[in-house]
Amino acid sequence: MFKKISIYIVLLLVIPLVIATGTMLFEGRRFVFISLVIAVLSCVPFFLSFEKKQGNTKKMVVIAVMIALSVAGRFLFYPIPFFKPVTAIVVITALYMGAEAGFLTGSLSAIISDIYFGQGPWTPFQMFIWGFLGFFAGLLAQKLIKSRFWLCAYGVLAGVLFSLFMDIWTVLWKDGGFSTGAYAQVMISAVPVIIIYAVSNVIFLFILAKPIGEKLLRVKIKYGL
Amino acid sequence: MKIFSSYHPVVLLCYFLSVTVMVMFTAHPVLLAEALLGGICFCTVLERGNQFFRNLAFYVPLFLMIAVVNPLFSHNGMTPLFFLNGNPVTLEAILYGIDIAVMLVAVMYWCKCYNIIMTSDKFIYLFGKAVPKISLILSMALRFIPLFKIQMKKVSVAGKAMGLYSSKSRVDKVRSGMRVFSVMVTWSLENAVETSDAMKARGYGLKGRSHFSLFRFTARDAVLLSLTILLTAIVLTGTGLGSTAFLFYPKITHMSFTPFSVVVYVAFGVLCFLPFLIEVKENMKWKYFVSKI
Repeated sequence: MFKKISIYIVLLLVIPLVIATGTMLFEGRRFVFISLVIAVLSCVPFFLSFEKKQGNTKKMVVIAVMIALSVAGRFLFYPIPFFKPVTAIVVITALYMGAEAGFLTGSLSAIISDIYFGQGPWTPFQMFIWGFLGFFAGLLAQKLIKSRFWLCAYGVLAGVLFSLFMDIWTVLWKDGGFSTGAYAQVMISAVPVIIIYAVSNVIFLFILAKPIGEKLLRVKIKYGL
Repeated sequence: MKIFSSYHPVVLLCYFLSVTVMVMFTAHPVLLAEALLGGICFCTVLERGNQFFRNLAFYVPLFLMIAVVNPLFSHNGMTPLFFLNGNPVTLEAILYGIDIAVMLVAVMYWCKCYNIIMTSDKFIYLFGKAVPKISLILSMALRFIPLFKIQMKKVSVAGKAMGLYSSKSRVDKVRSGMRVFSVMVTWSLENAVETSDAMKARGYGLKGRSHFSLFRFTARDAVLLSLTILLTAIVLTGTGLGSTAFLFYPKITHMSFTPFSVVVYVAFGVLCFLPFLIEVKENMKWKYFVSKI
C-alpha cells in the first residue's frame, strides 16, 4: 500500500514540483532540466512496482542475462556505428517474458551499457525510450510472435522512434528550447542514422527472434517461470 | 588510486550531480568558463599524461563545430556582422554558439571524470538500499558480461578442438560465431536459473538480511558534503534571485558585477576546482613525505 501511494506521490506531486522549480531556477534552459527529470521519474513507478512483487528471483536473473547479452552485443558491434542489437534483444525479451520484463531490460541495459560507454545527460533518455520500446513490445506480444511481418514492422518503428526521441533531446540540449525548425534540421541530418537503426533492428529481430525466443520459452517451461 | 575517489559514494554523487546540473542549466559565461577549466584540470589529474592531448584532439574540433554551426542556423540577435546567402550572421549568435560549446564540452569533461571516479561498485552501493532488486539485477548483469566473455572463449576453443569450423573461410567463421552465440544463450539462461535456485536455497529475500560494503562515512566526507551543499546553495540562491541571469538574444546583457554576483562566481569557482585542489594537496603531501625519507 505504501509503495502504491508513493507512486502516486511521484506522479502527482513531484512532477509538477519539478516543472515549477525548473521554470523558476533555470530560466533559459528549463526544458532540458524538466525533460531530464521527467524521463527519470517516469521510470520510477516501474522500478517500484517490480520491487514490491515477491518471489520472482528467476525472472530477475533471466532479465540480468538478457541485459548482459544486449550490452555484450553492443560491444560485439562496437566497430559499426549505430548498428546495434540492443533494441532487438529488448524486444525479444518483452515478447516472451512480458511487458514489465521488457521495460526493465530496456531501461537497465541503458544504465549498464553507459557504465561502459560513458554516462551522461543522455542516459535517462535512453532509459526511457528503450524501456518503453520494450514495454509496448510486451503489450503487443501475441501479434508480434505470430507474424514475422509485424515483428519487422515493429523493428522499423522502434528504430525510427528511438532516433526521433533522441533528436528531441539533441535539440533541447543544444538550443535550450524546442523549435520545429531546429528539430526538422536535426531530423533531416539524422536520416542515415534512422535508416541504420531500422535496418539493424529488422536484421537482428529476423535472425535472433526465433532462436532466442525458443530458448526463453524452453527455460520458462523447464523451470516453471 | 586517486584520493577523491576514496570519498564516500553519497558525497561523490552529490558533488557530481550539483556540478553537472548547474553547468547544464546555466548560460552564464563566467560560470561556464569556471566549470570548463575545473573539469579540464580535474580530468588531467585523473588521467595519464598523454591522454590530455588525445582529449584535446577530440574536444577542440567538437568545440569549433558547435560554435560555428550555431550562427549559421540561428539568425536571432540585433548586431548583424555580415550576410551569408542573404541571412544575417549576428554577433549574438556567434557568442551564443561559443557559450553553448563551452557548456557542452564542460559537461563532457565532467561526465568523463564521473565515469572514472564512480565505479560500478559505488553505483550499486548507492542504489542498493532504495531499490534492492533492481540493483541486484544490475550487479548480476555487470558480473555476467565478463563471465560470458570467458565462457565464450571456452565454448569456441572446445568447438575447435572437436574439429568444428576450424577452416579459415569467412562463411565458416560466421557460422561458428553463430553457433557459439547460440550455445552461449542457452548456457547463460540455464546457468542463471541455477544461480537463482542457489540464491533461494541460501535464503535470499528473507527478512533480516545484512549488507556488506567497504564505504564508511567519516569526518572528511562530512566536510566535503557540507561544503558542496553550502556552495551549491549560494549559487542556486544567486540563480534564483536573478543575479546570474544572462541573455544573448535579442541583445547581450551586461554582466553583473554586484558584490553578491561576485560571491556567486567565486562560490561556483571553488566548487569546480575542489577535486583538483584536493588532488594537488594530496600530491604535495606525498612528495613532502617522500622527500623526508
